[in-house]
Amino acid sequence: MRRLLVIGHLSLVICLSAFAQSNLTYELKVGTTGEVKLLEEFPESYAGEKVNITVTGYGLQVTGYGLQVTGYGLRDIEALDFVFASEDQPRLADRFDSIYSYTDEAEVAWTVWRSNKEIKNRGQRVLVANAYKTFEEYVVSHTAAKKRGSGWIWWLFAGLLLAGTAAYGGYIIYSRRKEKLLTPVEQEILRRKRMGNRRHYGSQLYLWLLLLVLYAPIALIAVFSFTKSKILGNWTGFSMDLYVNLFTGKADAGLNSAIWYTVVIALIAAVVSTILGTLAAIGIYNMRARSRKMVSLLNSVPMINPDIITGISLFLLFVALGMSQGLATVCIAHVVFCTPYVVLSVLPRLSRMNPNTYEAALDLGATPAQALRMVMLPELWPGMLSGFILALTLSVDDFGVTFFTKGSGGLETLSTFIYSDARKGGLTPELRPLFTLILLVMLVALIVINVRNNKHQKD
Amino acid sequence: MSRLVQIFSSRRTWAWPYIAFMAMFVVLPLILVGVYAFTDIEGHFTLRNFAKFFTHSEAIQTFIYSLVIALFNTTICLLIGYPAAYIMAQEDFRTPKVMAMLFILPMWINFLLRTVATVELFNMCGLPLGEGALLFGLCYDFLPFMIYPIYNTLQKMDNSLVEAAQDLGANKWTCFWKVIVPLSLPGVYSGIVMVFMPTVSTFAVAELLTHNNIKLFGSLIQDYITTTDLLNYGATLSLVLLVIIGLTSFLGDSDSAGGEKGGLV
Repeated sequence: MRRLLVIGHLSLVICLSAFAQSNLTYELKVGTTGEVKLLEEFPESYAGEKVNITVTGYGLQVTGYGLQVTGYGLRDIEALDFVFASEDQPRLADRFDSIYSYTDEAEVAWTVWRSNKEIKNRGQRVLVANAYKTFEEYVVSHTAAKKRGSGWIWWLFAGLLLAGTAAYGGYIIYSRRKEKLLTPVEQEILRRKRMGNRRHYGSQLYLWLLLLVLYAPIALIAVFSFTKSKILGNWTGFSMDLYVNLFTGKADAGLNSAIWYTVVIALIAAVVSTILGTLAAIGIYNMRARSRKMVSLLNSVPMINPDIITGISLFLLFVALGMSQGLATVCIAHVVFCTPYVVLSVLPRLSRMNPNTYEAALDLGATPAQALRMVMLPELWPGMLSGFILALTLSVDDFGVTFFTKGSGGLETLSTFIYSDARKGGLTPELRPLFTLILLVMLVALIVINVRNNKHQKD
Repeated sequence: MSRLVQIFSSRRTWAWPYIAFMAMFVVLPLILVGVYAFTDIEGHFTLRNFAKFFTHSEAIQTFIYSLVIALFNTTICLLIGYPAAYIMAQEDFRTPKVMAMLFILPMWINFLLRTVATVELFNMCGLPLGEGALLFGLCYDFLPFMIYPIYNTLQKMDNSLVEAAQDLGANKWTCFWKVIVPLSLPGVYSGIVMVFMPTVSTFAVAELLTHNNIKLFGSLIQDYITTTDLLNYGATLSLVLLVIIGLTSFLGDSDSAGGEKGGLV
């Protein structure tokens, strides 16, 4: 109990300091003029080229041929084309008013990206370090005011902190009073117990610090899922809008289809790999030692291979076969890396099962299908279920393999969607509530499983 | 016909669909990586790709750099993860299950999203995105893979061995180095394998964490494989990676096998 209170306090303090940082936002006013130079000179070949400018929530990003600025703005406003006037350095400032009239002015942080000529075809990004600085300086010195975050959130945190302190103090007073009623021997036992616990405070602290670091980015996502702001790390007041958008389908169309595809692919892959893997496990279990070893080795290959190798090798196969890549190829790829895990979770159940029951069923006149359904499956299903869940998790989480097998037909799963989003320079805001909810669901599920396991053990 | 029925009622054959599937979608693709690596764009046999790799300073440098980064990452993960696993595996540690649960829970958040959030966190704290951010992010992603195997071996360890050492007069330090560490080595090996290789081959994470200023071998392969006319060179780089993977898992295997034998004696 005490420990929980201490942890609560610590995390509150961390949250507070995070907010203190995030309240530094830049405000750009509509109609600002002024010259912003990209310090890096563009090669002459860019002169006369068509340039596409849009505003981004997170970064002004220059990619592709010539100068293309992409990001959030792409979804919010029309792209603006303009042509470099001369071999002069481009003057982005000229375009500010027309850009900013469309967008939420308090939400902009800038990064300037430029494609390097030799790799521009691949859409690579190179940070123009100097430009970043000038841009930011410009934004700060000309227009920015350090905006304080909405006041009530501070009060809320202060209140929570106060309440936490009061609860902690109350708990201590309460436990002291209870202690006085104990006999001296019991008091001594309690004191020794406490001393014993105190010895472990160092190691406990270590673990909790690790967890704190591990959860800091996640806490960031969760906290900022309750604000409307388009960029992560900018608090624009409490709002449930993102959750509403997520459930009413008002979120980005790309995100909706990515969620849909992720679910469909995960289900297909999990079902197919569970069936295939269970049959394979039964087959492997009944093999002779040598061939069993061979197949087990084969089974471990996709597990040892890193994502990128599985992805690339399958990509090469599909290229060689001339298969067009899309939903089918992604499903096949997911079955490839999911099935070995199903096999591995079913095999232990088989070795625990009495091997003669199946034969007995056959002897008593059951067909193999009947024997499978009525004798084997009831024994195997816990293994199959855990394999199925594992396959679902692996499939939803996969990025590397999907990336190489999804083709260019616009199929995106959540992972690849996040990747291309992050590459453009910002995250679709609705991703925050989505993953906050996933985390909550997983937390509840794990707690339920743990509690049930404990009960089983006690029984 | 009856022969056919006989074949299918033997349960040994139930693995055949899976074996066929694996042959088609695991073995054949891996062979194809080799084939593409040794051919040019028109499909003629050539060694030029390998010659290019060994003279291509960017590729070689990235390769060595990735190995070094992976080595650093593995070391950091081990240094941070071993104490954590050790603390959790202590007998008087009261909530190992809850702790273990808390350590896996973040894995359900998409790792790319976590990476982006890490970048944002670095921005908030005013820390620069560079090598430090890269190592932090990689360690962040792979730490659970190091803690788990070590925790498992430590937990299954026979505590009476430790007690025996203490009875025979070993102090805490000796007991730890001479008894606990050697017994936990199999877990350490599998942790190292699970962290080292994925780090070398990682892509996307490095790109996001450093705004593509630092490239790891995985990103390099990704660049080439997605460029149509450089696909064969990409396959060559993948083959290099495959060879390294083969070597590490082979070494890992023989190491842990040796460890087991030592344990038996």
